[in-house]
Amino acid sequence: MKRTLTLLALLAFFSLGLAQKTTLTVAVFPNLDDALKAQIPLFNKKFPDVEVKLVIQQYADHHNALTTALATGQGLPDVAAIEIGFVGRFAEGQGFEDLNKAPYNAGQYKRLFTPYTIAQATSADGRFIAMPTDIGPGTFFYRVDILQKAGVDPKSMMTWPGYIAAGRKIKSATGAFLIADAADVAWINIFATTPANNSPYFDEKGNVVVDSPRFVRAFELARNIRAAGLDARIGAWTNEWYDAFKKGTVATQFSGAWLQGHLQNWMAPETKGLWRVQQLPEGMYASWGGSFYGIPTASKNKALAWEFIRYVTTTEEAQIAAFKAIGAFPALLAAQNDPSFAEPVEFLGGQQARLLWRDAARRVKPLKANKYDRIANEILTAALSQVLDEGKDIPSALAEAKRLIERRMR
Amino acid sequence: MQESLSKASPLSDPSRWAMRWSNFQRRYAPYIFISPFFILFLIFGLYPSLFSLYMSFQAWTPSDGWGRWKFVGLENYAFTLTDPMFWRSMWNTVWLGVFSGLPQHLIAIPLAFVIHMVLSRFKTFVTAVYFLPYITSSVAIALIFNTLFATHNGVINLVIAHLNTWPLLGALLPDQNINWFTSANIKYALAVVVVWQFTGWNTLLYLSAIQAIPKDLYEAAAVDGASRWQQFRYITLPLLRPMMFFAVSLTIIGNMQLFEQPFVLLNGGASAATPGGQTATMYMYRTAFEWLEMGTAASIAWILFVFIGILTYLNHLVFGRAARGGD
Amino acid sequence: MKKSSLGALLVRLGGYALLALGGVLTVAPFYFMFVFATHQRSEIFGFPPPLWFGEHFWSNYQILLEKIPFWRAYWNNLYLAIMVTVTSLFFSSLAGFGFAMYEFRWRERLFGVVLATLLVPAILNLIPFYLLIYQIGWINTPKALWVPGMASAVGIFMMRQYIVSAIPKELLDAARIDGCSEFQIYRRIVLPLIRPALGTLGLITFIGSWNRFADVNVIMRTQETKTLPVVLRTLQGATDVEWGAIMAGTALLVAPLLLVFALAARQLMEGLTSGAVKS
Repeated sequence: MKRTLTLLALLAFFSLGLAQKTTLTVAVFPNLDDALKAQIPLFNKKFPDVEVKLVIQQYADHHNALTTALATGQGLPDVAAIEIGFVGRFAEGQGFEDLNKAPYNAGQYKRLFTPYTIAQATSADGRFIAMPTDIGPGTFFYRVDILQKAGVDPKSMMTWPGYIAAGRKIKSATGAFLIADAADVAWINIFATTPANNSPYFDEKGNVVVDSPRFVRAFELARNIRAAGLDARIGAWTNEWYDAFKKGTVATQFSGAWLQGHLQNWMAPETKGLWRVQQLPEGMYASWGGSFYGIPTASKNKALAWEFIRYVTTTEEAQIAAFKAIGAFPALLAAQNDPSFAEPVEFLGGQQARLLWRDAARRVKPLKANKYDRIANEILTAALSQVLDEGKDIPSALAEAKRLIERRMR
Repeated sequence: MQESLSKASPLSDPSRWAMRWSNFQRRYAPYIFISPFFILFLIFGLYPSLFSLYMSFQAWTPSDGWGRWKFVGLENYAFTLTDPMFWRSMWNTVWLGVFSGLPQHLIAIPLAFVIHMVLSRFKTFVTAVYFLPYITSSVAIALIFNTLFATHNGVINLVIAHLNTWPLLGALLPDQNINWFTSANIKYALAVVVVWQFTGWNTLLYLSAIQAIPKDLYEAAAVDGASRWQQFRYITLPLLRPMMFFAVSLTIIGNMQLFEQPFVLLNGGASAATPGGQTATMYMYRTAFEWLEMGTAASIAWILFVFIGILTYLNHLVFGRAARGGD
Repeated sequence: MKKSSLGALLVRLGGYALLALGGVLTVAPFYFMFVFATHQRSEIFGFPPPLWFGEHFWSNYQILLEKIPFWRAYWNNLYLAIMVTVTSLFFSSLAGFGFAMYEFRWRERLFGVVLATLLVPAILNLIPFYLLIYQIGWINTPKALWVPGMASAVGIFMMRQYIVSAIPKELLDAARIDGCSEFQIYRRIVLPLIRPALGTLGLITFIGSWNRFADVNVIMRTQETKTLPVVLRTLQGATDVEWGAIMAGTALLVAPLLLVFALAARQLMEGLTSGAVKS
């Protein structure tokens, strides 16, 4: 009798053990999901019993769904990816675990990351809500073939007036546009001129600063490019945008380093070898994009969620895997010293581009996130479009944008 | 206790109890039959509406937790009524209401007349074809048009480019591909989608009204030598007035709450064309579910409700009187 | 005489041409939906865009299965439509019967309330409805979508109109003499006689809930509980949109509607306009 019981207990124990393939849900937006798909097999080598299930939604949908889910406490994943535009909003809310506290004790890892990412994920009252996984050092993409055809030296584009002058030359010699959307020149200027430890749109005290001279200059540059007919008036992330990159109808683009991953993987793989990168004009360094992983307080698998986040953010192999898969620039400093950083990038004609980006990443001033970043971004986008498309004058467009943002900060 | 009593009762007088039951169920049957609707309406219709009226005077975001709202008086209404983003969305709504509403009726009335005049055997089939978009999911329609409106090589731009080579039309049409997804152009794209989706529905309505017009009226007119056009002008149109009132009312109510078509074409608000295309209901939605300002969103809903009420009343004044006069 | 018949012929031909043009414009988007469903994105936005079917339907279908729980969402759609249709047919016809065949206090006023709810724009109830569903903890549960729709004002209106015109009151009195209870009258006499109207209302209700979007989008929070239109929408967005797969999913969403419509177009159109003509 006793033996039977023992046997039964053993059986029960083993069957439990066998059945214990835990599922971990990770909510993520594209193309960070492609990075995870490269990282999960590596993670599973250490945690074979964990099945990682991805919930993939588009960028805006993902964050909106996360916002409502956090508010209602229903339908939350175990791990949530957060893009930089939203990290301020989520840090000010209460829905994420404070990783400073036990059992996470993330304080010990902070020195491992590019310093400004830590500030971004920290709330005003000192809670640390998400671990950084990638950063987006802003960079200057150009088509070497088009520039050569037009006889333009890329170095001559390292000042903004020089950039516009080169644009005219390119347009008349090759018919190609300087850039897809003049607005991107405004954005890279806005991001690059943000003072240390500020949000792009707010000062340290939280006042709206979108009518300050750096915004006026950024808007003026964009307007001059539009007025000279040098941009193709193509919005980012549209089929026309991909088409323009494929066909070489635009010569340059400002973006985060991660754009190389998009170009190479699906947007324009056939343009391999035709692109190059250089630093931004006038010694500017900007942060353009960046992602984090946090644990919603309502998660039922917090311990495992933490293991997963710790693995993808603090191990070199995971960070390098993501970097190779989609060009997600590692937030982990150690990964930036990986020998693969010196390898030539075939897509960029064998350029040692990663060293250039690493240099940029180390010079970027730390940005601070604000909970109103998203709405400020949307209002400023509308203002820029009024200036570029409808000919509204810049001071009144910016004054109006400032008023609109201030109204929202109730 | 009660149950055991009633179970004991059959002993007394079965036929009398049966009589009583029969009278009881006969008397209360209609109330019981209609009660499910009213119970559901009270719970899911009236109560939330009143609650949202209450909510429109509070500041609340769901992360505050249920019940933790703060009374702010008329602040939400004041904010919305002085909010340029709200007024821009109202302007978009009214513009779309007119430019996607009028063409529906201007096309549908003659179309219904032509169907009635020239078709007999295939009338149902042809009407059904025109009606098809109405029963199709708005999300599906918006997704389809999203591809058709592509700037380069989009089917619609290619058709425009082709028409551009025609002698007369060419002068009217732009030479470059139109980027529909800008704040300035998106309204036209939305109007095309809405007209395409609802013209068939209005055609069906007008056709059914035309078919109800007695034939001898036309015959009498034809004897008097009235042309087709005169018949249309002096018989069909006046007799269509009541249906116009009805159909226009439906269009007004429908167009004031356009949501799915702009929501999908603007990619939920992520599109750069959002300021020029988002309707008031979409703005309300984003206020509630993107910015989580539930009190403000509730105030938008009530402002829209009053606005639609006024429009419906005006329509009643213009068409309604004429409709009654036409009877 | 001859001149006028020639004129009539020209008018007739002009009418045909007009109708044909309108027909082509109406059908074209459906046609392109099916064509695009069989092409890759690069073909859809290439020059010239495809005008005829390609060979990528299966690969588009595979992408759908990979990116979203497609058949799960399809089932959610079907489940919602069936639950709403069945319950609403029952409760609406019961209430329509009550309004049509009984004299009772407040009858006209209560019917007026039913009609008044038709005038309130549905989308404006979205925020209040969400707040209520949140309050009672039904977020992300399917019942939040079909329970409120179990009896519809449109259905009650349609059923009342039909029962008034189709069923003589004497029939009910005869049944009462035979000892039928009021519910038995509904069950055994009314229900069989209103079958055509039930069919029409069923079609309208089914199609309406098959196409629902706004409320599902706010109530359902996970990919597993969302319906097909909502899930398809999530495929559209910022980066790397698989338009071929979206069109394949859209075609599969629309196909049942086209089928139903092909079988019952006349009934549906007559049902939808009967109320309008009488009012």
